[in-house]
Amino acid sequence: MRNAINKSRYGYYFVAPFFITFLIFGLAPIIYSLYLSFTNWDGFTDPVNIGFANYERLIHDSFFFKSIFNTFIIWILSVIPQVSLALALAIILNERFIRGKHFFRAVFYFPHIVTPVTLGVLFFLIFDWQTGSVNKVLMELGIIHAPVNWFNSPWLSRIIVAMVTMWQYFGLNMLIFIAGLQAIPNELYEAAEIDGASRWKIITKITLPLLKPVLMFTFITSIIGGLQLFDGPLMIGNGPDNSTTTMVMYLYQTAFKNFNYGYGAAVAYAIFFIILIFSLISIKFSKLNKVEQ
Amino acid sequence: MEIQGNKQLTLHMNGRRKIFKFKPTLGKILIYFILILIAVICLLPFYSMMITSTHTNSEISRKLLLTPGTEFMNNYERLIHTVPIWRGFINSLFITITSTALNLYFSALAGYGFSKFDFKGRNILFLCVLGTMMIPSQLGIIGFFKLMNSFHMLNTYWPIILPSISNAFGIFFMKQMADSSVPKEILEAGRIDGCSEVGIFHKLVLPMLMPAVATLGIFSFIGKWNDFLTPMIILFDNDLQPLPVMIASVKSQFSTDFGAMYVGIVISVIPILIFFSIISKKIISGVTTGALKG
Amino acid sequence: MKKWLAMILSVILMVGVISGCSSNESTSSNANKGNKEVEGKLVIWTFFGQVKDMAKEFEKKYPKAKVEVKVFPGDQYKTKLLTALQSGQNVPDIFDLERGYIGQFVNSNFAANLSDMGGEKLVKDYVPYVQELGRDQKGDLKAISDHSSPGGFWYIKSNAKKWLGTDDPEKIGEMVNSWDKIIDLGKKVSKESNGKTHLISSYGDVYNIEAYHMDPWVKDGKLNIDPRWKKAYKTQKEIFNNNVDAKLDFFSAGWGNAINDGSVVLTAMPAWAGFMVDNKGNKSNGKYGIAKTPTGLYMGGTYRAIYEKSPNKDLANQFIKFIASKEWQEHNLKTTGNMPALETVYKDNLDSYTSPLFGNQNILKPYYDLVKDIPAQKADKYGEEILSLWRKVAGQGIKDNANVDKVISKFKKEVKNAFPELQVD
Repeated sequence: MRNAINKSRYGYYFVAPFFITFLIFGLAPIIYSLYLSFTNWDGFTDPVNIGFANYERLIHDSFFFKSIFNTFIIWILSVIPQVSLALALAIILNERFIRGKHFFRAVFYFPHIVTPVTLGVLFFLIFDWQTGSVNKVLMELGIIHAPVNWFNSPWLSRIIVAMVTMWQYFGLNMLIFIAGLQAIPNELYEAAEIDGASRWKIITKITLPLLKPVLMFTFITSIIGGLQLFDGPLMIGNGPDNSTTTMVMYLYQTAFKNFNYGYGAAVAYAIFFIILIFSLISIKFSKLNKVEQ
Repeated sequence: MEIQGNKQLTLHMNGRRKIFKFKPTLGKILIYFILILIAVICLLPFYSMMITSTHTNSEISRKLLLTPGTEFMNNYERLIHTVPIWRGFINSLFITITSTALNLYFSALAGYGFSKFDFKGRNILFLCVLGTMMIPSQLGIIGFFKLMNSFHMLNTYWPIILPSISNAFGIFFMKQMADSSVPKEILEAGRIDGCSEVGIFHKLVLPMLMPAVATLGIFSFIGKWNDFLTPMIILFDNDLQPLPVMIASVKSQFSTDFGAMYVGIVISVIPILIFFSIISKKIISGVTTGALKG
Repeated sequence: MKKWLAMILSVILMVGVISGCSSNESTSSNANKGNKEVEGKLVIWTFFGQVKDMAKEFEKKYPKAKVEVKVFPGDQYKTKLLTALQSGQNVPDIFDLERGYIGQFVNSNFAANLSDMGGEKLVKDYVPYVQELGRDQKGDLKAISDHSSPGGFWYIKSNAKKWLGTDDPEKIGEMVNSWDKIIDLGKKVSKESNGKTHLISSYGDVYNIEAYHMDPWVKDGKLNIDPRWKKAYKTQKEIFNNNVDAKLDFFSAGWGNAINDGSVVLTAMPAWAGFMVDNKGNKSNGKYGIAKTPTGLYMGGTYRAIYEKSPNKDLANQFIKFIASKEWQEHNLKTTGNMPALETVYKDNLDSYTSPLFGNQNILKPYYDLVKDIPAQKADKYGEEILSLWRKVAGQGIKDNANVDKVISKFKKEVKNAFPELQVD
């Protein structure tokens, strides 16, 4: 007994590096940012306390609101097709008769390991209206007659950004779903097959309900990730009328392009607040679901 | 790994058996068609990128290019002249490998600590760890920037590498793995043998956690490889920049030189493509098991 | 064994962290060596690769001096520079500033007052606008450039002959000396070529050419919209709607391509953009001509400032003196084709200077006329930022065929948002 108590202090030692590093590189900057959000620091002079002026500016900042709107639109446009596609592919690739499973999984997953910055630049080039191959292909096929200036239309730009995001993540979600599917005991399927259930019935009555926790997990992570969307859209650009400026892009541009560090810190806190609300809502949702089950 | 393989094998055998049950119907052909179509869509942008990188700017802007050209080296030379892209590659490798090593070691350490030591306030501390997962990485970025400035750490790798020690997801994952795969009896046996606590961790626990380490390693590696915002604001020297930042700077510097830009992205993709196709089985099974436990 | 390895590793890490700070400090204090003679070591930060040649020439002249040039290409330079200045760590002795953000830096305490260091004498004969841009709001000289950056209408001679009936720069300049003439001529070119060829590349040329003739955007903390912008907007709309322009954005890929293939007759671009011409094997020598734009046009420009706390101010000043000298600017003109900042260099070479791309045309003549035409205006914190907001909003307005009042109200909103401290009515 004495021995165990004696050893338990090692627990502190083992978890200490996490807390020390987090205090220095995580918490301290966050608190410091809070202080900066009450200043007018611009990089050229020392920070001066200006009270709540940055936050007042923020609640009147229509561009920030627009960036929130953009982020949500892009998230919705990407997450719905992404999750449905990932789910459909996961179910198909979990079927027994499919050959070359590994090949398909690998190919579908591949876009996820390419750096988002690279993908952003790649799609920026491919959709360039003068030199990009998308217009050339469409014109060659006779679908369009004059090149389409994709990034000149707010909605087309958003759709492209959403598509790139979807393209990047559907493979990952597919793997997660496959993992979920593999966790479903085989006996259930076998029993259902013996009972003569149709394939469709098996999917809707067994697969999907059992996959619900995994679906919820994907959904929550995609909200938190989606609200922080940054690198890819940054490379594609702001779009016409700032239509593809996401929240984090706005933060980056305010702070590190226009040197409004103080205001940028306030924007960062606003983003945090939004993400917090959505995380809480989605957690509540998933808890309710668990209770139901 | 073994179990996984066996499972696939049985699945395969099952598959063989079932094939006779289902005739190659229209539906099946359709399914293959869709799968192949999506695979083509996944690979087409990369194909287009490689082809385009081998042509001159005027060809790129005028024609649809489907076959390789001869201009790759010229485009490459223009790119290399201003952007040390291979240097970026090496920088990225260095940052990613050191960060991943730190992340894995300390995640395993803390995960084990939370799992097997019954210290006071353990649950609250663990909740704190989980709580930090909710904080978006951009929240403190401005304070981080100014704080690193006062630590004189700007333009060094420290602010990029050291935070990897505090990876909440890693700890969570490792704790779960330690809960299930490190039996208490072995620790007791180690203690009786007179091993120190740190020794037990290194000699007994770490080897047992190795499969989990490998899985987490894949996640950590991919995440760090793609890290963009922190290095972009922390590093000034071109020679220190990792690959993503270099690609971003290629885009801003070669705004009219599409040939060079394409070469840049080709260089950033091809090594990953090769690496991935060699160990894709490991990565995919890693991601799949990681997703299940996480 | 492994335990020790881990311990050592963490010790090394900690030591590294600590030494990481101290080593930085020692390098900055090491450079502290004042010298009366022209010797010592100078660090220059720039975004412009050719500064390396400049440093080489300087070292040739003063063999005891060493100049280390650090080039940071791309749009991250400004942030990097500001960070370094802020932290006071590893700060260069001389830093380059681009026209786009010079205002913020010359009005800060980071740039040394060159007027106190004999700078006035150096810029006495400068082109007025170049001289004025280096001054802060009080009128003190804070940064000096070694070049001017005029632009003109570049054209492929054979192409001009085909569409305009002449390749004589004087005559072409006459044909396009007002926007009304440009619009009429542009309509004709577009019609005769069945819409395949356009007179100018983009309606955006109007901003590029007119922007620095307008009143400053900010006066006494108030947004001030020069009424001439309204007129410019109307001109742009007319250009856009009548296919006078090829709708190729400035410095886009298609724009660059049009210079070489001639789908645009007159490309408004700066003298320093010669690298856009594909001149492999000298195939483009003598292919081009330059005509005057309706009013004087300049684009960009690199200005050099000395760090206020630099320990090497004397040497840095020597370097500034060198780049402001006739000797360097003439050399620069002859080797790189960059236009000089000294009017005397213009005047001396007016009848003799030619450049391979332009055959035997004395291209300094149109450039000198244009460069003199540009009003001298100080750079402030807002000018370029607000101009780019205007470009963005007006550009969108033209594409949407919006009326000018709507554009202006949208623009005001953007300005108010970006600079809440400004009064906008």
